[in-house]
Amino acid sequence: MNEHGHSVEIDPAKCVGCVACCQACPTKAIRVIDDIAVVKPELCTYCGNCVRVCRYDAATAKTSNPADLKMFKHTVAMPALTLYGQFGRDVMPSQIMDALRKIGFDSTYDVSWMCEMVTAATDAYLSECNGPWPKISVTCPAIVRLIQIRYPELIAHMVPIETARELAAKILRRKLSSELRLDPGEIGIFFITPCSAIMNSILRPVALDQSYIDGAFSIAEVYGPLLDAIKTAEKVDHDVPISPSGLLWAMAGGEIAGMRNTNTMAVRGIQDVEFVFDRIESGTFAAVDFIEAYICPDGCVSGQLVIEGRYAAQRNIQQIARKLGDQGQVKEEKVRSLLREHFFDLEEEIKARPALALGRDLKQRVAMKKEKAGVLEQLPKKDCAACGAPDCETLAEDVVLGERTVEDCLFVRIASLTGDEASEKEGNRE
Amino acid sequence: MSGEVKDPDVLYVERFRILHNDYEHGGDAAAAIKSILKELGIPQDHIRRLSIANFEAEMNVIMYAEEGEMELQVLADAVRIVLTDRGQGIPDIDLAMTPGYSTATPAMRERGFGAGLGLPNIKKNVDRFEIESAVGVGTTLRYAILLPQTSQTGEA
Repeated sequence: MNEHGHSVEIDPAKCVGCVACCQACPTKAIRVIDDIAVVKPELCTYCGNCVRVCRYDAATAKTSNPADLKMFKHTVAMPALTLYGQFGRDVMPSQIMDALRKIGFDSTYDVSWMCEMVTAATDAYLSECNGPWPKISVTCPAIVRLIQIRYPELIAHMVPIETARELAAKILRRKLSSELRLDPGEIGIFFITPCSAIMNSILRPVALDQSYIDGAFSIAEVYGPLLDAIKTAEKVDHDVPISPSGLLWAMAGGEIAGMRNTNTMAVRGIQDVEFVFDRIESGTFAAVDFIEAYICPDGCVSGQLVIEGRYAAQRNIQQIARKLGDQGQVKEEKVRSLLREHFFDLEEEIKARPALALGRDLKQRVAMKKEKAGVLEQLPKKDCAACGAPDCETLAEDVVLGERTVEDCLFVRIASLTGDEASEKEGNRE
Repeated sequence: MSGEVKDPDVLYVERFRILHNDYEHGGDAAAAIKSILKELGIPQDHIRRLSIANFEAEMNVIMYAEEGEMELQVLADAVRIVLTDRGQGIPDIDLAMTPGYSTATPAMRERGFGAGLGLPNIKKNVDRFEIESAVGVGTTLRYAILLPQTSQTGEA
């Protein structure tokens, strides 16, 4: 896998230079320059909104190359729980797993039980930690990036427990290498992802030196082959039975649904997340213990790389969970012993990546803010994005940074043209 | 709205008008100041404390005064707020500073205000606090948070 690649890419050959992605980007990370959208990687959360809104197929989520599978002696498909909700309410996870093996993976691994483990570990952590409150889940990698970039002060609020997918891959690699007598590096674990943010977290993990997962394919790209394979798939019990409470993690609210602590909130969608994070910074919500937050409107089922609509997918997940019945997979003693081993701990600290710092000290920042206000004064404040910046304020900022000029604004250019005409006419009269 | 800066130590000034009973815009001045300070890279803990104070002070004007003006002053070593209002004034400042004392009407209490913690809460969250009031004329609050002085290079 390309170490330096990004999970969201814009194909200059397909990009027509419309500004849909630029205006849809929650962190204002996209500029359209010379009719091609360019992502500023330091501002990108890999939320995939650009992929969602692009009508020209130019913004795409990059996933692994199928040829990567050949690099391993044994390959495993580890589906996001969202995959279980893609094929209606009658296709059970065991059939989907069988279908994954039919389309070319040597084995499959379910993460729902690890979600249930993380739920128990989170409860244990919350009962022992001392603030700052509320604690925030690290499950959604776009949320983690958003905090690193825009809300660095909230890093102290993040629960220092690794994500269920990474923990599952860690345990699986150990297990398979002893069972199959393979070198850990000969096992290829591939996530079947609903979004570009998870793909990015595999390429560039935040609190790990290297991801335990080797790559990812999108739900959308395996959907067709799986649909065919499901027709002949068997309902068989596979290695690990599904945890119904873990399964609910596919949707916003699922993570807190299984927790013992009920002083919790689920926040979904970028606008609501910003609303809540702004207030956490101001000290509001300090009476809440835990916040589950997703950048997508309904959690993972609404990722941009899924096929089934998010409402139908939620219904499917709920009905499958109901059918599976009340089969808790996790023994508390097991969780406690893993906690003692520090199995769940983040391996590295989450680092701030603030991208807002304009200027090196207060004096310079004040000067730049005043300069920006002066530039903004010259702009029409129509936020039309025709200049290629998402709004007038961002263009003003880019001008102060020396990246653009005021003349990049069409209104300014038109005004200067008509102004020239007017003065020419005046000149003629004289 | 950046105005003329009289005090040479003041790097940045901005003023916000606050009107009686304007609950619709209640908190707007505090929110605007918060985003300015964030843009200027003021440490988050300082912004948080000042924002709590600003919100309390702003709501005091909306509930009790006729109108007021909140002035933000950013200095190299502090962020100052001067809030001047025209209104009924405070007859007994010591009493108003007592936690739990409130003159809020039942209508205000219904909106969740009137716990009698406004002024004490402002004082608690800032590093400098002064209050002056004249009955029938108005009240002036001056408060500030002091900024950490990290290895300052160049002139002060």
